[in-house]
Amino acid sequence: MRHVIIGAGAAGLTAARRIRELDSTAEIVVISRDEHVHSRCMLHKYLSGERDERTLNFVSPDFFEKNRITWIKSAEVQAIVPDRKNVVLGDNQMVCYDKLLIATGADSFIPPVGDFRTAGNVFGLRNLSDAQEIVKHIKPQGKVIIVGSGLVGMDAAYGLLEKKMDVTVVEMADRILPIQLDEAAGNEYKKLFEKAGCKFILNRKASETILDSQNNVSQLILDDKTVLDCDVIIVAAGVRPAIACTIESGIDVEKNIKVNEYMETSVRDIYAAGDVAGMSGIWPNAMKQGCTAAENMCGNRTAYEDTYAMKNTINFFGLVTLSLGRGQVQEGDKVVIREDSKCYKRAIIREDKLDSVLLQGNMDYAGVYQYLIKNNIKLKAEDDIFKKSFADYYKVRTDGQYEYNL
Amino acid sequence: MKRIMIDYMKCDGCKNCTAACMQAHREEQGTIYDLDLTDPKNESRNHILSDGRGGYRPIFCRHCDLPECVMSCMSGALSKDSVTGVVSYDVNKCGSCFMCVMNCPYGVLKPDTLTRTKVIKCDFCMEKGGEPSCVKNCPKKAIWVEEVQA
Repeated sequence: MRHVIIGAGAAGLTAARRIRELDSTAEIVVISRDEHVHSRCMLHKYLSGERDERTLNFVSPDFFEKNRITWIKSAEVQAIVPDRKNVVLGDNQMVCYDKLLIATGADSFIPPVGDFRTAGNVFGLRNLSDAQEIVKHIKPQGKVIIVGSGLVGMDAAYGLLEKKMDVTVVEMADRILPIQLDEAAGNEYKKLFEKAGCKFILNRKASETILDSQNNVSQLILDDKTVLDCDVIIVAAGVRPAIACTIESGIDVEKNIKVNEYMETSVRDIYAAGDVAGMSGIWPNAMKQGCTAAENMCGNRTAYEDTYAMKNTINFFGLVTLSLGRGQVQEGDKVVIREDSKCYKRAIIREDKLDSVLLQGNMDYAGVYQYLIKNNIKLKAEDDIFKKSFADYYKVRTDGQYEYNL
Repeated sequence: MKRIMIDYMKCDGCKNCTAACMQAHREEQGTIYDLDLTDPKNESRNHILSDGRGGYRPIFCRHCDLPECVMSCMSGALSKDSVTGVVSYDVNKCGSCFMCVMNCPYGVLKPDTLTRTKVIKCDFCMEKGGEPSCVKNCPKKAIWVEEVQA
């Protein structure tokens, strides 16, 4: 049996590892555009110089050898040909498969603002290649504009502030990290970033660009006609599933590759997992999808069940935050807020169930909250949501593992 | 694999296990008598919760068969050893994102209090010969090590 996996990210390599655990004789081939295995969640540490190509690796250096995986790196898949059960690489090399997993992830979305898509100094921050390009283009004290203050935008800001760059973040919402945080929690980070020298322009959109003679954006114009000088622009405006390799393959694709709960695409023996499957943009879910795909590729019918994805953790300047749920208050919700000098907590309880929770400053032992939300666990009226712990549901199985006693 | 088994009915909440864990993981050498229990550097990897009715619930890392923490680690710092079953943590690899804290369903994990750069995580006292200090110091035999099917 020959398993071919496109993509060497969280989903792809988790799948590869799992296939090897399940089948010691299978042939496993990983094809990746990337030259280095790297964790996309740590690219800001590359920008800051804290990590390099080697230390961004999230698997052991002998991963491919140890698991007997053939790794074709720096290779682009041009086409998938289900009729012949092969994939065609950029150099026309063909790789045959019995089972194929597409785990190509996603690419930065660069909106069509001015010359963003063609200028030489506008980058996303998604792949190591993006980070490498950014590092090549930055100069000491250079002016960097970051468009978007989501997690990727703030990651980029954090990394470049470490490099003593002059960083300005432009955000169209009225606060930073608008999806993950409310205003109070966002402001705490804003203050820390400002202390590190970061500037913020909120409630504004990038609207036009002015190019210099080298086809670089030298000035960015905002929707209120503010003009900002810049040496480099980083666009953190979300990602789009990397579906290019599916063109003309017959695989059912809309914005993302469509999969069922077994991670199967519409074409027999072809699976998809991770960002390209569009179910979640976060690492833990990508790993689980990769694992589920591997089980099914090896013939163990296994459904992907842990679909909850409205979750994130943030850690900048040692201020940690856990954010679960959409954080949007509806009529009839009970909102519980508690704060002290070190900590801000907010919970939204909807129909006796925890809908969202935000813990900033202290997230000790907070894993229980995700379980409460994910499993729709009913709370009692007398429960103090911030005192919930596993002790309330405690059960030890005969094999010593914990289980929720509901 | 070996697992620290728990009979919570036997636990009387004395926190000997907690002190033993702090002692086992302290940076400077010393005895339990000069261990500074208030120094946030000396954090325990286990903790005991009260049920509010005179009973106790020991919260110890289970080194789960399907560890959610490992399945959330974006740096490769957390891994499950296929031979020993131990879920180990490599502080040098850790990216301090704390998705493992978010993902542990039993609330066993926490970021370190002082620096928020590492996870406070049971290591089964592997560096001390794999005999967990907490177990050795439980006067009630509420925790013990047993070989279990993984």
